[in-house]
Amino acid sequence: MRIQATMKLFLPLFFSVLSLTSISAAPLKINGSTTVNLPVAEAAEILRTEQKMEIQVDTQGGSAGGISMLGDGLVQMGMSSKPVSEDDRSKYPKCDFRPIHIGEDAVALIVSKDVWENGVHTLNKKQLKDIYEGRVKNWKDVGGERAQRIAFFNKEPGRGTWEVFVHWLYGSPKAAPQVNFPEVGGNEETRSKVASTPGALSQLSASWADGKSVFALALVGEDGVPVPPESQNIATHKYPLSRPLFVLTNGEPSGGAKTMVDFLLGERGQALVQKHGYLPLKALHP
Amino acid sequence: MRRGLDIVMGCVAGGCLLACLTISTGLVWSIARRGWGALSFSFFTEQIALVGASGGIFWNLVGTTVLLSTAFLACAPLAVSLALMERVWLRSESMKKALRLGLYTANGLPSIVFGLFGFLVFVQWCGWGKSWLAGGLVLAMSMLPTVTLVVLERMAAIPQRYIAAATGLGLSQSQVAWAVLLKQSWGGLISGSLLGLARAAGETAPIMFTATIFAGVTFPKGVVENPVLTLPYHIFILAQDSFAAGVETKMWGTALVLLGLVFSMSVAALPSRLYLHEESDV
Amino acid sequence: MTRVLSWLLSALAIGAFGFLLCVFLFQSGPVWQSEGTRYITGVSWFYRQHVFGALSLIYGSLAVTAVALLLAGPLGLGAAVFLSEYLPQNARLALKIPLELLAGIPSVVFGLLGIALLRDWVYRTFAKFDPLSGDTLLTAGILLAVMILPTMVSLFDDALRSVSGAQRRAARALGLTRAETIWNIVLPQASRGIASAFLLSVGRALGETVAVFLVIGRQDNNLPHPWYSPAPLLEAGQTLTTKLGGAETNIAFGDPLHWAAIMGLGVLLLVLTAGATCLGTLGRRRHA
Repeated sequence: MRIQATMKLFLPLFFSVLSLTSISAAPLKINGSTTVNLPVAEAAEILRTEQKMEIQVDTQGGSAGGISMLGDGLVQMGMSSKPVSEDDRSKYPKCDFRPIHIGEDAVALIVSKDVWENGVHTLNKKQLKDIYEGRVKNWKDVGGERAQRIAFFNKEPGRGTWEVFVHWLYGSPKAAPQVNFPEVGGNEETRSKVASTPGALSQLSASWADGKSVFALALVGEDGVPVPPESQNIATHKYPLSRPLFVLTNGEPSGGAKTMVDFLLGERGQALVQKHGYLPLKALHP
Repeated sequence: MRRGLDIVMGCVAGGCLLACLTISTGLVWSIARRGWGALSFSFFTEQIALVGASGGIFWNLVGTTVLLSTAFLACAPLAVSLALMERVWLRSESMKKALRLGLYTANGLPSIVFGLFGFLVFVQWCGWGKSWLAGGLVLAMSMLPTVTLVVLERMAAIPQRYIAAATGLGLSQSQVAWAVLLKQSWGGLISGSLLGLARAAGETAPIMFTATIFAGVTFPKGVVENPVLTLPYHIFILAQDSFAAGVETKMWGTALVLLGLVFSMSVAALPSRLYLHEESDV
Repeated sequence: MTRVLSWLLSALAIGAFGFLLCVFLFQSGPVWQSEGTRYITGVSWFYRQHVFGALSLIYGSLAVTAVALLLAGPLGLGAAVFLSEYLPQNARLALKIPLELLAGIPSVVFGLLGIALLRDWVYRTFAKFDPLSGDTLLTAGILLAVMILPTMVSLFDDALRSVSGAQRRAARALGLTRAETIWNIVLPQASRGIASAFLLSVGRALGETVAVFLVIGRQDNNLPHPWYSPAPLLEAGQTLTTKLGGAETNIAFGDPLHWAAIMGLGVLLLVLTAGATCLGTLGRRRHA
């Protein structure tokens, strides 16, 4: 008796609440690379305050997470620090990936303070390949003064930073050999792990290498000259590991996504890109 | 010799207990020491800024509350029904045993499994995307066995004579269930739920694929595509960046708040749990 | 009406769990077809090349659990013995409270503590073995030991209390010291309960995700050569749960075989934890 009365009251209430939920406006959802996240998250904060937009930003899964979530339709905008590959396009045939270039960044090979002070300031392709494939395990073999184990941290699956790295070493992620190293996730975790582990080496967005807790190595390019990841070298592509920063949409950007894209390509957005250490578009086409 | 061994055993065992208690209080003290500095009125009332380096955790508290409330509302009716099944409706002893065994086994399942299940069914198949409802339902599933078992134990502790009296007065089974069993075991439902919620509040694995993001939402406005901010996920993300200045204190502060939340729920559930537990004579 | 509602809701609850099991089994189908038994015995997991061998993950889970039990077991048993045999009722209840509170610390907070306290300690203490960093299987094992300690103490205490008081009184009346009573009368009779406690703790330890994730290093394919060598304990490793909670799950969904492999890990995890918990439950003697 009591139950029947409760159900009579409860069920209509339940269904009316449920129907209300379908009238809500759709927020702009963004997911992807921790590298691109910095300017985009701040842009989102500005747009939220100024234009009262609803924007959700997340960094689950890095660049690959951004691409896959856009492909699955779970977000309206992806962030990626690597280009969308043919594989990605064929995995999500219904999604028309439109990459929008918003800035340029470089991948740096960073080392912890003790390695830098041990005298290792530059590495070449062969040395990196040897380290990556496990043939070289000690800093003494690549220019360090005293012997110390190389603590190499590889990036976890899906990170754009990793793909840029192996692209340079091996030509494509598919050609990279199978290796086993401890993993780090996004830029934040990489920096904190490398800073706190003696002998550490890993891949990090160049602007995150602050020169105090982690140090960016100069890389030896094709002509044999070591090139540090400084702005001019990245802009002129002398530094071999530069990479574009993209926001991705499915088809032409529209609605909230268009507002965000316009903002990012505009003066204030590009100032944000520069503020967070990346190169704005005008630096690439002087 | 025998006396010596007696003393040795006493000392060793006592030492073990002392070690356990030291670890226990030491860890809580560690958290308190590191996080105390972050606590302030603004910490509780502001939202996150600068990727966690400043601002407060207001919306994280809101989000966690939303998830826990949903979990409780979804779990309570199911837990009571399962307990009633075992106590009243099921006839055969072997089915009762099977149900109890199933409950204990389900109680030990890892929470990440529920998270993956929720990701597949709610986020992908139902098309909800990351949603507070998905998270709430997943948490409800993970706490269901715990709550059911506590309610069950409480019902089992009701003296048989109450039930006999009720049946003797001519009440049907349903009426006995309402008038005697449920009335007497509300306390069990509350304490069991508090216990389950205390565990659920700290769970990160079930919600990180289904319900929560790091920044950018306030209060959910619908079901589909409406994630929430939560305390444990906030800590989880910040834990992987414990070197940025300013983040560290905030992170420990959040941990302290979460700990306080979990402790207060556990403590509230404690009296009735200990009461049920103590039976042996020595 | 109550009856119908009870049956319906119970069916819903049980159905949900059954559905969970079915979902995992069916979704993991492709990888069983593609790899067969190599899925469990294969030593390599390279998702890009679609090689899925979970042995190193199973090893990681078991190694971390073993370390945790070896550390927490004796300590917890000693504490439980003191609690149940030496202390009066009030003191027992009073001391159980801080232990219960330790049990309540959330997993992610334990992870924080592991990063802050354990990582450097392990790195420095075992420096002569030249570990790569402080994130190792051993670190995860030690952290897990602290996490399951209160559970173990509580379960051991239950097991010891289930031995009837009359036995203790008889032993003391015959002139045995307390230590002798414990050693010869209580412990042997509680042995089944103690074994159950171990099994239940195994279930709990196997299922722990976030705390282990933060301190284990997350390196795939870490296996001992030869099989009895403890060297991998000081290397970074990966368990079933950390793989599931990691980055691969996010990107696996678009690729049917990869997703099946992830679901397969879920199946393995379910089987191991449910098996341990089930066996542990069957061995327990319940009070009421």
